[in-house]
Amino acid sequence: MSSISLRKLNKTYGALTVVHDIDLEIDDKEFIILVGPSGCGKSTTLRMIAGLEEISGGELVIGGDMVNDVPSKDRDIAMVFQNYALYPHMTVYKNMAFGLQLRKAPRDVIEQKVHEAARILDITHLLNRKPKALSGGQRQRVALGRAMVRNPAVFLLDEPLSNLDAKLRGTMRAEITKLHKRLDATFIYVTHDQIEAMTMADRIVVMSDGRIQQVDTPQNLYDRPINMFVAGFIGAPQMNMLPSVIERRGEHYVAVFNGRDLPLPTHVDQSRIAPYVGKEIVVGIRPENFHELPPADIDSANMAPFEAVVDLAEPMGSEIHLNITVGEQALTVRVSPRFKAAIGSTAKLVVDTTNMQLFDKETQRSILY
Amino acid sequence: MQWLRDMWTKEGPGIPKNAPRKTGLALFGQTLAREGWEMVKLNILFILAALLIITIPAAVAATARICLAHVEDRNTYLLRDFCEAFTRYFWRATAWGLAFGAAIGLGGYAVVTYAAIARDNVFLVFPLATAFVVTVFLGVVACHLLVLMVMRDLPPLTLLRLAAIASFMRPLPVLAAMLFVAGLWLAHILLYPVSVFMPAAFNFSLGMFAIVFSAHRAAETVLALPPAPLSGLKPEAGQAKHI
Repeated sequence: MSSISLRKLNKTYGALTVVHDIDLEIDDKEFIILVGPSGCGKSTTLRMIAGLEEISGGELVIGGDMVNDVPSKDRDIAMVFQNYALYPHMTVYKNMAFGLQLRKAPRDVIEQKVHEAARILDITHLLNRKPKALSGGQRQRVALGRAMVRNPAVFLLDEPLSNLDAKLRGTMRAEITKLHKRLDATFIYVTHDQIEAMTMADRIVVMSDGRIQQVDTPQNLYDRPINMFVAGFIGAPQMNMLPSVIERRGEHYVAVFNGRDLPLPTHVDQSRIAPYVGKEIVVGIRPENFHELPPADIDSANMAPFEAVVDLAEPMGSEIHLNITVGEQALTVRVSPRFKAAIGSTAKLVVDTTNMQLFDKETQRSILY
Repeated sequence: MQWLRDMWTKEGPGIPKNAPRKTGLALFGQTLAREGWEMVKLNILFILAALLIITIPAAVAATARICLAHVEDRNTYLLRDFCEAFTRYFWRATAWGLAFGAAIGLGGYAVVTYAAIARDNVFLVFPLATAFVVTVFLGVVACHLLVLMVMRDLPPLTLLRLAAIASFMRPLPVLAAMLFVAGLWLAHILLYPVSVFMPAAFNFSLGMFAIVFSAHRAAETVLALPPAPLSGLKPEAGQAKHI
């Protein structure tokens, strides 16, 4: 059993608190990713779980036992660092075997485990090489292998892919996901890259300023962000935030943005919207919810025409990112590569409000969830 | 100190998995470059282990065992593996060392003797040539036998027979290695005192590496031979445990 509980966990450096009373339950064999901007406390949290940082307050429970004062080596965890932290004077084999040797594991067991890990990670041909000769991706595999041979209950990975180029990062993402399924262990992974978080995690923990903002599955985070920070952090290009005013039109409510009505989604709880009539809120619309033509599968009640001046077009191959302006408000929309829009011209679009998000302007929290 | 850290942590070019393996001298140079520092340490270990003279054959076998791991691109823990090989092969290596030492010594003595008297009787050039060829061939067999001994646990007669077959199959690489070893020592003598540290630094281990490298393919070939043509082999030889 390798479930982990963080109960009111905090970390302070003198008067400075970098992690504020975090509560988090991580299930056995779960792949959970801590994501957030630099300095949000995700690595500190991971290092507290690893035992590399002293816990200032709260409880850390691994497998039912409180381990606040248990040394790192006795926590049945293995950590993979951002800079790999391989011993440069040792071969790959010796790097991988070192932890087991310190634990006085029998030689044949070390041999078997190192070769098994090397086979899984496809680095058998590197075993007798020194890290100096290896590329970043190969070093990363070795670092993973070194963690694997210990057969820990929990893997902690601190931005393991951030030193790799984009192509290799994509490959390694898939490799780590497969590895998690194969090893059947708990993975806690820290990254500032939301694509890594979205593609790999069972659940994502979004952190900001030392606090957990939201914990949920990747799709739920995307579809139902609990506040403006999560809404803006998850998704690329990020969600457009439109300052609007809620008004009632007959039976329905609309958000009035820059003089145009955006119908609020019909499926949401109207009672949540009612208190905001006449008040300023922030409407969140993702770039892919803008279309050149009305999609056939969307209820017309949830669509509105939308005209904006094109500032910039960024062709991405499979799509175009248009930077557009409505009044003073800059937005980013995602359209098909067939869409032709000259810079400075007015683009006629349709906005789908089905997945529109509404946020309280004061608290920045979602009105809908 | 940043430059020092960068030196250790800078990414390398990477090692392609399916790149064709180098062969011949290119592979020799690549292995040498990779294991250079290990060879210096191995050389010192050899000298320490051979100090008692009687331990020379076992030290040679242990050095050959480490060099074999380098040639086969296997991981080694130098001190541990050297000590293990030293004790493991001590008696076998000593026995074979004495036997081949005596045989090659006798051959050398015959060569010197025939060379001396051939000046008076030209027909003695034939036994001189025969003695020379036999002595050199014994050296080649000894090299193959050493490599085969540290590759597999084989009965003595099988080992000798396989070494002889390997020596007939591919004598030239080992002859070249023997010339390389001779060249190393010649360089030491000719460049003395500049070369005073050559024996302490790498002469023994590099020489042994050259021998093992040159004999390795023939040894692998004879070990892979089907048992049928080797009619005299005992059954266990064919099923020899790989060590």
